[in-house]
Amino acid sequence: MKRTGITILLAVITLAISAYTLPSGKLVSNKTHIRFFSTTAVEDIEANNYASVSTIDPATGAVVFSVPMQSFEFEKALMQQHFNNDKFLDTKVHPNAKLIGRITNTDQINFSKDGTYNANIEGDLTIKGETNSIKEKGSITVKGNVITVESKFNITLADYGVTFVKGKPASNIAKVVEVTVIAEYKSE
Amino acid sequence: MASKRRNILKVGAILLLAGLLTAGGIMYFMFHMPHRNVGITSADFSMTAAQLVSEYIENPTSANEKYLSADGDSKILAITGAVADITEDYNNQKVVLLKAEGDKAGVSCVFTAETNGQVTNLSPGETITIKGVIRAGASYDEDLDMYLNAVIEKSSVLTTQTN
Repeated sequence: MKRTGITILLAVITLAISAYTLPSGKLVSNKTHIRFFSTTAVEDIEANNYASVSTIDPATGAVVFSVPMQSFEFEKALMQQHFNNDKFLDTKVHPNAKLIGRITNTDQINFSKDGTYNANIEGDLTIKGETNSIKEKGSITVKGNVITVESKFNITLADYGVTFVKGKPASNIAKVVEVTVIAEYKSE
Repeated sequence: MASKRRNILKVGAILLLAGLLTAGGIMYFMFHMPHRNVGITSADFSMTAAQLVSEYIENPTSANEKYLSADGDSKILAITGAVADITEDYNNQKVVLLKAEGDKAGVSCVFTAETNGQVTNLSPGETITIKGVIRAGASYDEDLDMYLNAVIEKSSVLTTQTN
């Protein structure tokens, strides 16, 4: 009788403690901004996308981004049409780009403590059906329960099957474009 | 005879000039072509948020074939659903999520600087119809391990009288 009582007491205490521990679940971002920028002697081209979704698992460092390609907006309508068509990013056939990666230095990042941390991210980036491994740096800022990730890196268009030899695209679009990412995460 | 030749040359020169001006005009227009105005364009399809989501989850390939365009000017949809959430993106655009409780995914409707004001009086649970251009369909993403909402942009709220 006494043993059962102690067991029950221990069970209740365990439950009470677990109810007060912080959840270390997945972080989700529905608030993102991906910008790509190309500069040549002829002109600068910029496109912005605010509709991507991302998750981070603080425990494993796993990072995933899903980018709806048709959400990239250009100032010039003609440029946006060229970007989407089958000779360029072929977005009807490949409507989403994907990053599946991992933060490799999670031991240096405390997702529960306010501060800014440097992050090393490695993973696979798939655009237009082509996958390449990337290894980039970013920064993670923790403020209360809001976590912001920022990164800037370059992409070589030819690596993703986007090439042009002659004509306006060859002179007006850079072979390497700069990608800037910012994403705000909250606990699931 | 000489004047006839001069006339032909004159006409030729005028035609050439007209041709060059026309070609130049076309090129100029194309380069500065305005974006399609989704707000004043009629919807191509009308459905509920739940219907669009289930159509995509059932067969994403045929749904993309039906709704997405190769040049990015994809179909304009009028979506009816319950307001689940109202947030703001990094471009200060309001985002209204149309999703009924219990639905796996909803339709995320992004407004514009011009139409943001239409969102202020909306309250969660209210049923409304929003028109916008589809950018991506709903799906279950294995890598994210979650359902993705369909994305509609250039949104505006449809009142009962308009298209």
